[in-house]
Amino acid sequence: MMNKKLQGILWAGLIVILILYPKVFGIYYTNLFVTFAVFAVYSVSFNLLLGYTALFSFGHAMFFGVGGYGTALALKHIAGLPLLGAVGIGLLSAIVFALILCPIVVRVTGSAFAMLHLAFGQLMYILALKLRGITGGEDGIGGFPIPPFSIPGVVSINMKAPENFYYFVIVVLGVSLWIMWFFTKTPFGQIQVGVRDNAMRIDYLGFKVPQTKAVVYVVAGAFAGVAGSIFALFQNLIAADSAFSIFVSFGAVINTLVGGLGSFFGPICGAAIMQILEELTTRYTDRVELVAGLILILVIMFAPMGFMGGVRILKQKWLARSASGVKLEKAS
Amino acid sequence: MDPTTAMYVAQGIHGLAYGMVLFLVASGLTLIFGMMDILNLAHTAFFMLSAYFCYQFLSMTGNFWVALLLAPVVTAFFGILMERFLLRKIHAFGLMSQLVVTVGVSLIILASVKIFWGTESLPVKIPPILSGLVTIAGMEYPLYRLFVIGLSLVVLTIMALLLYKTRLGKIVRAAVSDPNMVNALGINIPLVFTFVFGVGTWLAGVAGVAIAPIVTVFPGLEAQMGMDAFVVVITGGFGSLAGAFIVSIIFGLLSSYGVQFVSSLAPVLMFAFMAIVLAIRPMGLFGERE
Repeated sequence: MMNKKLQGILWAGLIVILILYPKVFGIYYTNLFVTFAVFAVYSVSFNLLLGYTALFSFGHAMFFGVGGYGTALALKHIAGLPLLGAVGIGLLSAIVFALILCPIVVRVTGSAFAMLHLAFGQLMYILALKLRGITGGEDGIGGFPIPPFSIPGVVSINMKAPENFYYFVIVVLGVSLWIMWFFTKTPFGQIQVGVRDNAMRIDYLGFKVPQTKAVVYVVAGAFAGVAGSIFALFQNLIAADSAFSIFVSFGAVINTLVGGLGSFFGPICGAAIMQILEELTTRYTDRVELVAGLILILVIMFAPMGFMGGVRILKQKWLARSASGVKLEKAS
Repeated sequence: MDPTTAMYVAQGIHGLAYGMVLFLVASGLTLIFGMMDILNLAHTAFFMLSAYFCYQFLSMTGNFWVALLLAPVVTAFFGILMERFLLRKIHAFGLMSQLVVTVGVSLIILASVKIFWGTESLPVKIPPILSGLVTIAGMEYPLYRLFVIGLSLVVLTIMALLLYKTRLGKIVRAAVSDPNMVNALGINIPLVFTFVFGVGTWLAGVAGVAIAPIVTVFPGLEAQMGMDAFVVVITGGFGSLAGAFIVSIIFGLLSSYGVQFVSSLAPVLMFAFMAIVLAIRPMGLFGERE
């Protein structure tokens, strides 16, 4: 009971902080937070594959990019498209893309899955560069109009103001996170974990393993698409290097590993840690690759469970200590 | 011979040369995977590193043959260091950790290459003996490409002899099928692993030197070659040398004829081929069912 109340207070506090954030920290840190939020959702969608279903993808950026390009192209070519419609088109294009891929990819596991995604991710990158007529090549698609957020007859909010856009992003991404969290808690989410732990057993229990994987794959792709779509709106630009590049794919892997595998909030922590580190390193050096490579190796060597794993160990130690403290009191 | 046929043959030679280099890289990759179950994503970073070493040795000594001899060996040395001090430590952590660590290594190699040699393209001159054209049956071929094909064939023959005619090769082949059993028979498997890893990176190194004079040496080399090599290994089937060979040659020809006929979509052809193969056989052309 007490716990529920405390949780309620924590959530309320979080919401208040999120609302006040742009007023307190100013525009630069607001934009930084939007970037963080986009990559947090993107990494969580990646973790649906890796942490919950043990599908290791090295090309998750595909969905991010497809979502981004979907939104950008829609806004560029369809006049008078509402904002949510544009995000919806990003989401839809990512879903369609995932549906096209999933018959091939759900049949393989392990390294083959990872490699296949590396290859398809690079294919999308090359296509984005080569199909200049559609994607604008290296320059990408920029300068598309950003419609106001409007409910006809009720309200119309200008999205070009960073503060308004911030609230829009927080709501859309917050809802996305909540849906994904809910998704992992459903019975289907449990089957998903079962596929990760023992696919053969799930098969014998009568559940369809490839179909389960396909559904998870499409959901993960869809939310990566939402993140990409928001990213395109935020930058008012989507280009091959920022959307399909291999580093975007690796970003999800790094965030998830640094934050902690198999924990829903791990990738969010990871995204926050990496955002802060990137902010600090780019101030002093431009060797981002070197830093990223070193972090990957160090995390695997010394903290294979990531940040959340470390937190869990500390928590257990603390609980064990307080438990033994209680025992001592009783004994005396 | 009329010009059209000549053109086709010349493109064929180009494709063959590229396919052979591709196979040198892919064979190392597939050998390491078949034996150690490690997909070394840093493999093509070693390939690129060797091309840089080739440039370095060439500018220091001026002799291409010294570079050809030394660069792959130095590259293999770095590969062995990586196996010994990184991969062996995390072997118990499973597949994903290995993939991530190899990615980390490849990022570090990429960054160090940029630090030491800069980001611009570095030219590597074809040695005078091998430059120019050679005339066979009334047609002219670029000599260096023929040399690349020959070199790859020699290296592969040596590898095949080593693998199928020596005691060491027997141990390696046995370890591919069941490393624990071989270890139980009293053979030092970790040492064999290190050796195979070294040979694998050495093969990538040879490919790096062979390709350096054809393309210029630049940091994008890794990504350019890397994708092709991984796609070859996936399509040919993990751990299968024969599969890697056939698919390498097919890809080499596809890319050279592809550039000729549908130049803008040439890179896509390979992936289309891969998608078709995997849709029919998920484990690759010659792969074994998991």
